[in-house]
Amino acid sequence: MKTATRNGFQTGITFGVIVVTMFLIGFTVIGAALVAKIFGTSVSSGSIPPLPFFVIFISLVGLWNGATAARRPLTGADEFKPALVAGLLAGLVTGIFSAVVALVFGMLAANKIDVRTYLVAISPESIKMYLFGQDAVTGSLLSLVLLTVSSVAGSALAVTLRTNAKVRGFFQKAAESYTNAIHSERAIKLRNNPSARYAFLALVAAALIILPRTWGGYWNYVLGTVGIYIILGLGLNIITGWAGQLVIGYVAFFAVGAYTFALLTAPAPHHLMWNFWLALILGVLAAGISGLLIGLPILNLRGDYLAIVTLGAAEIVRILLKSDLMTPYTAGPRGIRDIGGPTLFGRSFTSDVDFMYLIIIAVLVVSFLAYRLQNSRTGKAWVAVNQDETVARATGINAYTSKLLALALSAAIAGLAGALFASRNQFTGPDDHQLMVAINVICLVIVGGIGNIPGVFLGAFALKGLPEVLREIENYRMLVFGILLIVMMRLRPEGFLPAKRPALEKNTPPSGQEA
Amino acid sequence: MMLKIDNLNVHYGAIHALQGISFELEKGEIVALIGANGAGKSTTLNTISGILRPREGSVLFQGQPIHEMPPQEIVRKGIVHVPEGRKIFPRMTVWENLEMGAYTQSDRATINRDIESAFERFSRLKERRNQVSGTLSGGEQQMLAIARGLMAHPTLLLLDEPSMGLSPILVEQIFDIIQDINEQGTSILLVEQNAQMALAIADRAYVLETGKIVMQGSGDELLENPSVIEAYLGGH
Ligand SMILES: Nc1ncnc2c1ncn2[C@@H]1O[C@H](COP(=O)(O)OP(=O)(O)O)[C@@H](O)[C@H]1O
Ligand SMILES: [Mg+2]
Repeated sequence: MKTATRNGFQTGITFGVIVVTMFLIGFTVIGAALVAKIFGTSVSSGSIPPLPFFVIFISLVGLWNGATAARRPLTGADEFKPALVAGLLAGLVTGIFSAVVALVFGMLAANKIDVRTYLVAISPESIKMYLFGQDAVTGSLLSLVLLTVSSVAGSALAVTLRTNAKVRGFFQKAAESYTNAIHSERAIKLRNNPSARYAFLALVAAALIILPRTWGGYWNYVLGTVGIYIILGLGLNIITGWAGQLVIGYVAFFAVGAYTFALLTAPAPHHLMWNFWLALILGVLAAGISGLLIGLPILNLRGDYLAIVTLGAAEIVRILLKSDLMTPYTAGPRGIRDIGGPTLFGRSFTSDVDFMYLIIIAVLVVSFLAYRLQNSRTGKAWVAVNQDETVARATGINAYTSKLLALALSAAIAGLAGALFASRNQFTGPDDHQLMVAINVICLVIVGGIGNIPGVFLGAFALKGLPEVLREIENYRMLVFGILLIVMMRLRPEGFLPAKRPALEKNTPPSGQEA
Repeated sequence: MMLKIDNLNVHYGAIHALQGISFELEKGEIVALIGANGAGKSTTLNTISGILRPREGSVLFQGQPIHEMPPQEIVRKGIVHVPEGRKIFPRMTVWENLEMGAYTQSDRATINRDIESAFERFSRLKERRNQVSGTLSGGEQQMLAIARGLMAHPTLLLLDEPSMGLSPILVEQIFDIIQDINEQGTSILLVEQNAQMALAIADRAYVLETGKIVMQGSGDELLENPSVIEAYLGGH
């Protein structure tokens, strides 16, 4: 029963935050419109969908809330009652969150105070819908009741489905046949068959060659950005995911790479106009060396000093780039224009397709490097230092140089991403190098599953690809990321694709008692 | 002389943890270091393995001073430290832990052979070779920690309270294993609170009290020494 109460309470809070946020960013309207779309009623953007769809939408959220609250650890002799308690509690907590917000905004609206000055997405109509067309008090009570009832229903539904033999049998069978298919001799043969492998690789290669030519400039831009964030994620993953050193100001290295490259290839402010490849290499080197210099005095200290120092470095870099002091050298707040593009055998390759190819190649190279590092002695030493520095040193690992190398490599990879980014945009300025870039990278690494290479890909697509597709939420990215992170930490603390499958329980002490 | 500690002084800020201790270990010996909690036993081992620096005094290993070397070099000299508290890499598998132990070795074939012989000695680990080691039982973790230490081919093994928190049967097993390792030619410096068992297998032993060595002798002598019995053997 205690677990039930705790589960219900915690889930209720998480979903309360989600519901309130959805309302604040106007997602309740979008959600209701999506439901309407499923039922075949199209709602023009900007207008308010009919009330029943909103009721369905909120009920769905409630159902999910209840189902989440009644999740696994409640198994016991009589599962039903604790699950219902959890669902009820979760519904009440979420309902109270929602009711309070409904009441506040209902009151504001009743007094003709327009909140759109502060919260652009909240129109009087959307408030009215959130109150089910009633006055503030009735509306918020309805909200509370609806969320509670649907949550209880959700928990009941979840338990029924879970304990129902037929349903269980179905899922077990499905899972079995899936694993059987994967482990069947034919599948294994196919996977081990070299020509099948080559065929698969050829297919992927063909897709990577043909798609950029066909899907157009917009997608090349969006996916190019995703690719650059994949590179950044793979880079950050080395120092933070594997070596376990949190780097907050990762964007500092991105900026060093971008500016080194830009200054060497642009006509102004220095008119150096160097060769693309030479400048690219120097950008990577400069970033790597800056990582080394930051790490040298810090990495022999234990603790998260690196997080703070890189945070400071990122801000210093950005402020310097903006300052008048540096304007003659780095072109100041206006940024650097006409940055060079790739050339090969005297020809230049600067179309969107060319850049897409370049970024794909860079992603492949960095992924290959990452895989090799992961399985190398060096990679294992990072993981060892991360897990227990004292033991790692006792097994003969030089923890300091090991971490230093990780930081330098991470920084160099960020430099590569920065140079590619600047070159593709043919422009870079201080605003390209705000802390937000680094926060994005941290988020995508965490969401994907820290320490995991495919996870970085997943995280980059989810966090940089999706928002481009869902342009509506652009202004609320920070908010959405924050919520995503909180929800992630609660539901999947090791990310979507955790680095090691047989994960430990969250609260298991890592080893015997400490000295 | 394999190991010679001379007038070792170690400080933690204002705490003078080792106050001029001196002792020796001959090739092939098991030397026990016994003492109450906080006497400075772990500090001594940490200083020998290079994790701590002495303020004064010296550590000579095979005639060569090592007290200013970093730990990774000391490992390469042949001193391997198995720290207190079953310290393993909890998220690595048993196999990966053993591989990490061989970090200073470079020949793949030798490493694989060493892992196999570790599995021979510690058969419980063999069945669990692919298990994440944080999920092993306490005894298994301690076995793994020792096995990992052996992977580096030590000539001198420093063991810090290997029996801590284990059941009597497991303690028995661990001490058997320690003796066996010693018989195969590895010298051992054994730190223990379980004085009874430690003195029984030790050739010689030193008693440490608040950072000073207060007694020394052969294992058997100390087992019969009235003040040792009084303080460390439950006073019978
Ligand atoms: N990291 C540390 N910082 C400060 N004091 C310490 C530290 N480690 C040990 N000490 C102190 O040094 C003394 C010896 O500790 P230790 O060598 O761990 O003893 P033992 O291993 O014999 O139990 C104790 O007084 C202990 O409190
Ligand atoms: Mg100790």
